[in-house]
Amino acid sequence: MKYFIQSLVCICFAGGLVARPLNDKDISDTIKPKELIPVKVYSLIKGANQPLVNFYIANKSATTEDILSRLPEMNMIRRGSYGMEPVLRSYSSGQTSLLIDGMRMHGACTDKMDPVSIYIEPQNLQSIQVQTTHGFHSGSVVGGSVNLKFATPTFNETSLFSGTVSSGYQSAANAVYHTGTFNYGTKRLALRTTVSYRNAQDYRSGGGVVIPFSQYQKINYGLSVKYALRNSWIAKTDILFDDGWNIGYPALPMDVGYAGARIVSLSMQNETGNNHFKQTEIKLYANSVRHYMDDSQRKNISIHMDMPGESNTYGAYIDSRLQFRNNTKINLKADITSTDLIASMTMYQSGQPPMFMLTWPDNRTMQSGIGATFIKQLDSTSGLAISTRADLFIKSLITQSAKDQLSVLNQPVSNVSRLLKNLSVQYNKTAGKKTKTTISVSYSERMPVSSELYGFYLFNANDGFDYIGNTNLVPENAINAEAGIVHKQTFFQLSLTGYATVIHQYITGVYQPTLSSMTIGANGVKSYQQIPRVFIAGVEAMIIAKPSSSLDLVSTSKFSYGKDYQNNPLPMIAPLKNTTSLRKIINKWAIQAETEWAFTQNRINPYSRETATQSYGIFNLRLMYDTPLLNNQLRVDTGIDNLLDNDYKEHLDWGRINRPGRNLYMQITLSF
Amino acid sequence: MKNNVLNIFILFFATFIVLESCSKESNVPESDPVAGMVKIASGYAAGAATYVNIYTKDSAFAGYNKLYIVLTDSITGNNIDNASVSLNPMMQMAMMSHSSPKENPASIAVNHVFEASVTFIMPSSGGTWTLKTNVFNNENGKQGVLNCTINVKPTTQQKLYSFISLSDNSSKYFVGIVEPSKPFVGINDCELVIYKKQSMMLFPADSSLTVVVTPEMPTMSHGSPNNINPVHIGNGHYKGKVNFTMTGFWRLNLTLKTGNTVSDSTNYIDLTF
Repeated sequence: MKYFIQSLVCICFAGGLVARPLNDKDISDTIKPKELIPVKVYSLIKGANQPLVNFYIANKSATTEDILSRLPEMNMIRRGSYGMEPVLRSYSSGQTSLLIDGMRMHGACTDKMDPVSIYIEPQNLQSIQVQTTHGFHSGSVVGGSVNLKFATPTFNETSLFSGTVSSGYQSAANAVYHTGTFNYGTKRLALRTTVSYRNAQDYRSGGGVVIPFSQYQKINYGLSVKYALRNSWIAKTDILFDDGWNIGYPALPMDVGYAGARIVSLSMQNETGNNHFKQTEIKLYANSVRHYMDDSQRKNISIHMDMPGESNTYGAYIDSRLQFRNNTKINLKADITSTDLIASMTMYQSGQPPMFMLTWPDNRTMQSGIGATFIKQLDSTSGLAISTRADLFIKSLITQSAKDQLSVLNQPVSNVSRLLKNLSVQYNKTAGKKTKTTISVSYSERMPVSSELYGFYLFNANDGFDYIGNTNLVPENAINAEAGIVHKQTFFQLSLTGYATVIHQYITGVYQPTLSSMTIGANGVKSYQQIPRVFIAGVEAMIIAKPSSSLDLVSTSKFSYGKDYQNNPLPMIAPLKNTTSLRKIINKWAIQAETEWAFTQNRINPYSRETATQSYGIFNLRLMYDTPLLNNQLRVDTGIDNLLDNDYKEHLDWGRINRPGRNLYMQITLSF
Repeated sequence: MKNNVLNIFILFFATFIVLESCSKESNVPESDPVAGMVKIASGYAAGAATYVNIYTKDSAFAGYNKLYIVLTDSITGNNIDNASVSLNPMMQMAMMSHSSPKENPASIAVNHVFEASVTFIMPSSGGTWTLKTNVFNNENGKQGVLNCTINVKPTTQQKLYSFISLSDNSSKYFVGIVEPSKPFVGINDCELVIYKKQSMMLFPADSSLTVVVTPEMPTMSHGSPNNINPVHIGNGHYKGKVNFTMTGFWRLNLTLKTGNTVSDSTNYIDLTF
């Protein structure tokens, strides 16, 4: 496991994460030149000697998207206080992949209101695995991938029941969050079940203005069962249901009446391994999303409409890790999926028949891929990894009415078949036992997504254009280069990563002056077209310092830059942003002060009607108390987000809507 | 043993199904070419020893109507497939009378049906429509006439209009819609008929105009892309393509030109599906 998740940086948060203590042992561990293909793992799991506090989980009631937003590689496109879209570096969602425990899953909203991360709660997770542009274990992507890895039940020699219950309140949105996790483990059988409930009202932004339509409610429940077979195989099933309702999207003209996901998987795992096979996992899975947009609460709407969508995915994969004598490892993965998407819109005008159209004409994506990563330690200080993958995609319209409708756009409606090829080479070298350098180059391709191929007048509330798909699109391809350096001293660690990518055949919306928009009040129609190339580059830096045994400092900075072939800035590029946390532990107490600031973004894309975003800075203050209580463990998290009640927004926030103002929170957790 | 019994039972059952389906197929009658249609006129064409039945898909309406004429021998009841049929629709009003555009059928029936058309230029509410059907039965060499009153219904949406050409301020044209008769979301055939009024009795087909069609959803104020303007294909029929992006109420805005001069651009034909 360890050699796969070569964590260049491993930060734990969880019920309290914490930067690992920086002692010499840690340093030597991290610098060993075995860390190829930098899958960065951000762990949520509670360690045995878990320190009191964590830096990255802002507060105990954080959502999965809150946690994602604090990772150095991530930004979030915000359309409301719920349903934020993760952006890995500055790549679009089609250029990256967001996997749920290795499974592919597609949101059911044509307007990206439901990135699949919204259906997952932190309590469902063991870790978040971020893979940047090198290595293609998760699929053909040009911008990397994020895998939300499920927590698993734990076996126990003596039958043991354990768990946590937690309850909390946040003032800015008058929100409550209740959650419970229960684990029962015997020698062979282990069960883990989780449930959580969130209810948030319209939140109060900095300065006191209440943002209408920012409420949401959801329930999430999961069950995971693991059974150890006698032949060193483990059978496991995971079932996760998530139901959200009455979800407001202040930056959009519509809200969501209901959004629900059903995720089921069955897997067989072998971790001891015979001969060269050290680890093997076979998984079968199915998931389904239902998403119903709703504008019935909105006033002054010229025409009311319903916009339901659904996605159904079936998939399977086999993942094997082989080890050979001469310091060589090979990871093999073969996977196959089928995803069906349907979405439609019905508009109602009194005295007239309903107006119905397909917004995602019924379509199916069949994907099958095979990938291999070859890892070789060259000598005691250097290593090489070569990763390759091929994917065959067949996308098709599956009903005659879907074909009839899309043919209006004067495009072929026959199947779109594309073969994708990927290759990356990575080399690392450790110098002086304290500094490790990694460089890599890769060539990668990605398939156009269904909205880009088949989207039918999908309204983008950010630039105000209707978007139509283009079945003539070919895969994007990218040349990536990445270099990272990690330097460790006794009380100090610095890591710096730089990356640059040239994407050819870049898919973007191009204004079509001859077409008339469908959405009332839209600025016009854009069609997905391919421009010759774009350039994206960036830097991520992290400093972890431990000046004394009770004091920790973590500071992360991220900056990215993008331009197209005509030197126009790319849209939705976040400016330089820094998050710094300083934590002091005093007995059972911990106090943590945080700053978060971002520069002004003046590099804006003229064709996307972007506007510049002002710089901002906010302060957070957190206090934690952790104590044994009658053989149990009691933990209290309290604090204030945005202490100074600043009104601010980030560049990736749609609709120029201010973020929450001063937020007092308290979460009480009992572990038993 | 038990399995054998089961197998025999299954075999028997399967055989029964096969036989049953075969016998059904052999009994299927010849399909009725006018099944489900509305009979708008019928009677003997006296003198031609012929019985005439005239059908439309729906009731006759003010606009382009396809007529399906079935002739039978009044003695034997057999279908007559070779006849020269000519139609003469006539509107009798209080002070005047006029005819309307029409298309006579070919002399050989297809599947026992003679296909024709009449473009009723007004509903029956303003007077009385009669349809005079002259049949020359080529099989027996006899001729006869049937006169029938036709009830032409008004339409809730405009399917036909007339205009005085702006290019000469005198020529009057009638425009009707043939297709799409069953509109759907997608690329639809767009077929119009245009007739010029020569006199109260003569409405010859026109081939001189240029047509520009612009579909629109008036409720939503949007149109649709990639439409193909109808061009003349013969007998006053103009054919092109019109695209609908959703169901609902659509308006086909029509601009007609004589050469480069706009003859009329204020009229439209409406569809709802």
